[in-house]
Amino acid sequence: MEREAAAETAAVQGADPHPTHHPMKLTLHVWRQKTRTAPGEMVTYPLDGISPEQSFLEMLDHLNETLIRRGEEPVAFDHDCREGICGSCALMINGLAHGPERGTASCQLHMRSFRDGDHVYVEPWRAAAFPVVKDLATDRSAFDRIIAAGGFVGVNTGGAPDGNALPIAKVDQDRAMDAAACIGCGACVAACPNASAMLFVAAKVSHLAQLPQGQPERRERAQAMVGQHDREGFGHCTNINECQAACPKEISVEHIAQLNRDYVTSTVSAVVKG
Amino acid sequence: MSSAAGPRHPKGPPRIEPTGRALPYLSALLDSSVGAKLVVALTGLGLVLFTAFHLVGNLKVFQGPAAINGYAYFLTHDLGILIWVARAGLLGLFALHVFLALRLHSRTAAARPVPYRYHATVRASAASRSMVLSGVVVGLFVLFHLAHYTFGAVKGAEVEPGRVVNYLDLKYRMPSGVEVHDVYSMVVAGFTTPWVVALYAAAQVVLFVHLLHGVQSSFQTLGLKNRRFAPAIRALGFLVAFGILAGNLLIVFGVLAGWAPPIHKSA
Ligand code: HEM
Ligand code: SF4
Ligand code: FES
Repeated sequence: MEREAAAETAAVQGADPHPTHHPMKLTLHVWRQKTRTAPGEMVTYPLDGISPEQSFLEMLDHLNETLIRRGEEPVAFDHDCREGICGSCALMINGLAHGPERGTASCQLHMRSFRDGDHVYVEPWRAAAFPVVKDLATDRSAFDRIIAAGGFVGVNTGGAPDGNALPIAKVDQDRAMDAAACIGCGACVAACPNASAMLFVAAKVSHLAQLPQGQPERRERAQAMVGQHDREGFGHCTNINECQAACPKEISVEHIAQLNRDYVTSTVSAVVKG
Repeated sequence: MSSAAGPRHPKGPPRIEPTGRALPYLSALLDSSVGAKLVVALTGLGLVLFTAFHLVGNLKVFQGPAAINGYAYFLTHDLGILIWVARAGLLGLFALHVFLALRLHSRTAAARPVPYRYHATVRASAASRSMVLSGVVVGLFVLFHLAHYTFGAVKGAEVEPGRVVNYLDLKYRMPSGVEVHDVYSMVVAGFTTPWVVALYAAAQVVLFVHLLHGVQSSFQTLGLKNRRFAPAIRALGFLVAFGILAGNLLIVFGVLAGWAPPIHKSA
């Protein structure tokens, strides 16, 4: 009641009842690169009329509409679900993968995280293994090849298995689910000073290592996925933990320790059995 | 995108096949980023263990000349061939550690050819990001340290005013009558020289920074860390790094402060 009354007075006086809804003006610095091989550069775009309620991608849509109206080429960027589950969006915002919010993908980042008048730097993921295709879009197929190298389980086809046939302890289930939350966005690579994809590889290896279905190929999987990771030209892990802070799914570096354990056991078992 | 990966071993490490032949197996292991890192962690921890023993042995300088000189004599004479086994092992640890760490680093340098225009970090500690720098400084210091005390190539000790004797020619007669190398006077001569003290103290601080990240990082690399034990392992890493720093500084500054009085009255 009281709040309504206050809002009414504010409206009568001509003030916005929600002061945070004032449109904002930002100065964007965006990486523009025409093709894979063309040299790119940062281009500055002043942009106003940004609502704090907009997501970062909606703000880029807004920029692109402005550019199209001016007859300029819009900024290319990857996106799909826009609800934080597909891992398509990939923006380095002010030097942080997926921007300043923790546990948030770029598409779920809202403009209220910025202040009116801010300068915002937007760059693509930078890694030899993620070449820029155009502007902010990168080729992340290296991740697909790592998955193909070992991120699968062999199962019999046929009727759906009985739900309770394979009991799994709650702790294992939870740990597997935590790792399985990885959406393959590549923020861990982007944030890592070594451009290492160890958190991604670890999430996939550890997710399957917790479950009975993942056991048959477990030893080979750690070797195969680490091998493919290295072949793609990612760096090595120096336990800096920057990936964990950048990950929109907050995957823990604990899974990297699990990957290392699986690597050791598979190495030792190769010696013993070989 | 192996083509975009540039100079980095284009075919990558081969998979470890259980062939039973040691050599291809070992080279595949060391060629992999995780395998090489495991060896860096193991050799790093080996070097830490050595450093701790080295420190404990050297603290004998405060027990007087007979204690430390006797200990040095035990190491170099009574152990016989074993000392050479230990020295070879140590050299191997050091060489493997440095070689693999620098090779990993140089390969990883190719993993991000285009840097960010604007870069920020959230979690990365200064120690974790300067491992190569701190490591190289420690390595150069180790070379100096060997030249200084093991090969006596840096400076001599002034046993009487105006008479300088090479470190290796300093002699001490044990209570048992045996004449041994006078390690005690050598250490005292070193750490009463201001620039030597400054250099050793600075190097210990750099080693502290290296171990601050290194010890706890080794546990993670070896897969011995999880969320529950992480704080304990971080504390252990700090204690080890700090203990080595404090002990070594105690020797350097203790001698400077005169807790180990010189045998030869030179000053
Ligand atoms: C020339 C000398 C040295 C160089 C160039 C060097 C370099 C390095 C590098 C680059 C790393 C990897 C850091 C990372 O991946 O985060 C490392 C790790 C380490 N170093 Fe050294 N280091 C040297 C000497 C030493 C010494 C003398 C000790 C012990 C007293 C030591 C103990 C360690 C430990 C415990 C690690 C942790 C391994 C890990 O991160 O898993 N290092 N060193
Ligand atoms: S581990 Fe996290 S940051 Fe890395 S790809 Fe998966 S979701 Fe993205
Ligand atoms: S667009 Fe799908 S996670 Fe952001």
